[in-house]
This record gives sequence, structure tokens and C-alpha cells, in this order.
Amino acid sequence: MLEKNIFPLTVRLTGLKLGASKFSLALAAFLPAFLVFLGVRTTYGTAMKFFLFFFPYVFLVAAQDMVGTEVAGGALENVLFLRGGFRRYLWQKNFALAAAAATYAASLFFLATLWGVACGKFDPFSVPQFGLGLLAGFYYVGAAGALSHFLKAGSNVVVILLVQAAALLGLLFSATSRTGFIDHLGTGKFPDLGSRLLFVGFTAVFPNLIVSPRLLRGGFTVAAGLVILLLFQKALVRRLELRK
Amino acid sequence: MLRVNGLRKSFGPVQAVRDVSFSLEKGRTTALLGENGAGKTTTLKIILGFLKQDSGTVETGAGRIGYVPDHPVFLPWLSGKAFLDLTSRSSGLGGPNWAAGVRRLCDRLLFDPALLERRPGTYSAGNAKKFACLQSLAIVPELLVVDEPFSALDPPSIKRVRDLFAETRDRGAAILLSSHMLAEMVKISDDFIVIRRGEVVARSGLPEFLSRFRPAGAGELESAFLGLMRG
Repeated sequence: MLEKNIFPLTVRLTGLKLGASKFSLALAAFLPAFLVFLGVRTTYGTAMKFFLFFFPYVFLVAAQDMVGTEVAGGALENVLFLRGGFRRYLWQKNFALAAAAATYAASLFFLATLWGVACGKFDPFSVPQFGLGLLAGFYYVGAAGALSHFLKAGSNVVVILLVQAAALLGLLFSATSRTGFIDHLGTGKFPDLGSRLLFVGFTAVFPNLIVSPRLLRGGFTVAAGLVILLLFQKALVRRLELRK
Repeated sequence: MLRVNGLRKSFGPVQAVRDVSFSLEKGRTTALLGENGAGKTTTLKIILGFLKQDSGTVETGAGRIGYVPDHPVFLPWLSGKAFLDLTSRSSGLGGPNWAAGVRRLCDRLLFDPALLERRPGTYSAGNAKKFACLQSLAIVPELLVVDEPFSALDPPSIKRVRDLFAETRDRGAAILLSSHMLAEMVKISDDFIVIRRGEVVARSGLPEFLSRFRPAGAGELESAFLGLMRG
């Protein structure tokens, strides 16, 4: 490393990487187009709900291959990352990615808000929902970053999506009556310890749930999970070596 | 410029470096010699901060450090130009002088500037090596660390790189070269450090090195080196 403050380099590298990712760019172009399509074909409210629930996945896609390939491939053995600079780069990448994805999401939310105000259908409650969605997005970055220490390429994202799919299928196939956990999710009321613990676990797998007005309390789980994931990543990065 | 003291490093049960100590002076080129697995690259990586030593210290007064790996690998989404742009920003050496310096280095290294528009991952091994040299020399390093400086280079390029290293040394930089190409090391190095099984077994200037280790009637450095490696 040439400078002690490597964050500007991290930001530029992260931006260039996102800009070079065709999948990220395609998603960034598809999401607003689909929201407009949804809003026009159905209602503004439906489009906004869709956006609030799904925009955290923008963070997840942006967080693909955060660590694994760069470390294993030897690309960090460069003048830019001397004196442990690669550790600071990998750690700070969490924040650079989160900031980039949040900027993109906030831009879309701002435009969606203007649209809602113009048609008189904007719900002010969507603002805190958006904030919780950002929290879910940060959680995805933390989780994908931690997984990327053990997995190469985009498999960190694939693993998260597979776990979500498995959890969803498990929930659907294990719900034997309408009085089960799905109902609790619907009402946002979890009467016993078992259902509360299940909710905590489900929120850890599906952080997007916390944007639902009835499930806001899951935000505490996601916030705690984010802190744990970042601490875990910090520990991993601290002991990381380039042994190619 | 660089002081390494009592370095130790193990990878599981394998002790790669055991008690390595040496120092580098300004305006001197030092060759780090040793067989495969002797601990040369591990020592370099500890000096550069890519590996953490189990014990020992590395002290450097160098502000700008250049590094050329044996087989350079680059972040795959950046062009050569983008790499150099990031390097200039990080070093605070941008501006017209930087651009002129890069052009001059391209010319000196026999490196086609048009390649800068492409990603270094698409370069040949020789051009990747030259690009790594270009990146490190462009920052005007005070300490330059090079692992196998001449691997993958053709003879004309070897001479160009050797001349550039000599100029860098004459400017006052300390240079540490790790290499197996002993004939090339003799042409460029002022001091020699020999590592065997993770330990420094010899450290001296070229005349002392030859007189001390060359077996009677044997050739030059290579014989001395082989003799030393045999213990």
C-alpha cells in the first residue's frame, strides 16, 4: 500500500468492479423498469411493496465474490495492497459496497416517492420501511462477505439463495394447518417461545421480512446479526494471509 | 532502509523461515539466494505484509515500496491504464510528470503502451511481468522488492529491466531481489544473502562471497552457491 488511508482506493476499486459486472448492471437496469411496469399494470402501492421487499437483494448481488477469488487468485499481491493494505481493503469493501448499493436504492426510492406524491398515493410509513430494507441489505453484505472467505466466485450469493429456498420450502411443507407459523408471520404475533425462536431464525435467513409492518421487531434480530457478521469478518480478515 | 530481525514463520508443521535477520542499505542491491523451498518468497511476503510472522520484526524507513511478484496476477476487472491510474492516485504522484514517466518506462521496458487499454490478465507472462515492473518503478520506490526478476522475460527485456534496476539503485533506492538466475544476479547485485532451510547461512558482498565459498578450482558464483547449498 502506498497510503495509510486506503478507503478512497477501496471505493474506486469497488465502483469499477460493480461497473464491470454485467449482471449487476443488468439488474440495476431491470429493477426500475420492472417497477414502472408493475406500477402501470397494477397499482403504485403494489410496485412500492415489491420494491421495499426486494431491493435488499441489490445488496446481495453487489456482494458476490467479495473475498474468495481475489485472495485465492493472488491478485491482492500488488503494490496497491502492501503492508497489510489488502486486509483494510477487504474489510472496507463491506462499507463501500453497502454505500454503493444504498445510493442506488435511495435513488430509486426517491423517484418512487416523487411518483407516489404526484399521484397522491405515497404512504409516509414507507420511509421507515425503506430504512429497515437498508438494514436488511447491509445484513446481506455482511453475510455474503463472511461466506466469501470460504467460497469462490458468486457461490456466496448462491448459497444464501439456496438456504432461503430451502427454508421457504421447509416452511411450506411443514405447515400442516393454518394455525402454524405462517399464520404467526401473517399476524406478526408469536405466542410461544418456539414460534419466537423460529421467527428469529427465519428473519436471519430472510432479513427482507423486517420491512413488513407486522414484523418490524425482526429488525433487532437483523441488526444483531449484522454486528455478529461484521465482527466475524473482522476476525477473519485480521488473521488473513496471502499464501498463494 | 530495511531491517529484518529474527523472523520465524511456520505453516503447520513446516517451519518455512527460522531466525532470518538482515538489513538493506540505501543505494544497494541485495540478492536473496536459495533453493526451492528455502524460504525466500516467504521472507519477501513477510517483509511486504502479505504474511504475518510468528515472531521477529520488520522495520522499514521506506515510504514508497515497489513489488514485483514472480508470477504477477491482477484484479481481472481493471485495464492496465486503470491500474496505473489507481497507483498514481494512491502514491500521490499523478499529473503530467506521471504520464511522461509511464511513457518513458513503457519505452524502456519494451512494453507496448497500447496494451494498457487491455486487462493485464490478457497479457503474456512476459508482458505481465513488465507491467508489474512498470507499476512498481512508476512510483519511484525507495525500496524495491522483486521475486524472480527475470523470469518470463526475453534477453533484450532482461537487459532493459537490469538497467532500470541499476538506475533505481543509483537513485538511492534499496533493492531486494530473489532469484535463481545467479549469472544475472552477479551482474546487478552488490550484496548476497543465502538462505538454506529457512535460515540465513551467508551474507556478504560479492568478492567476499566468492572468495569464501567458491570451492578450489570451481567457477564463479554458481559453484559457490551450489557449494554452499550442499552445506
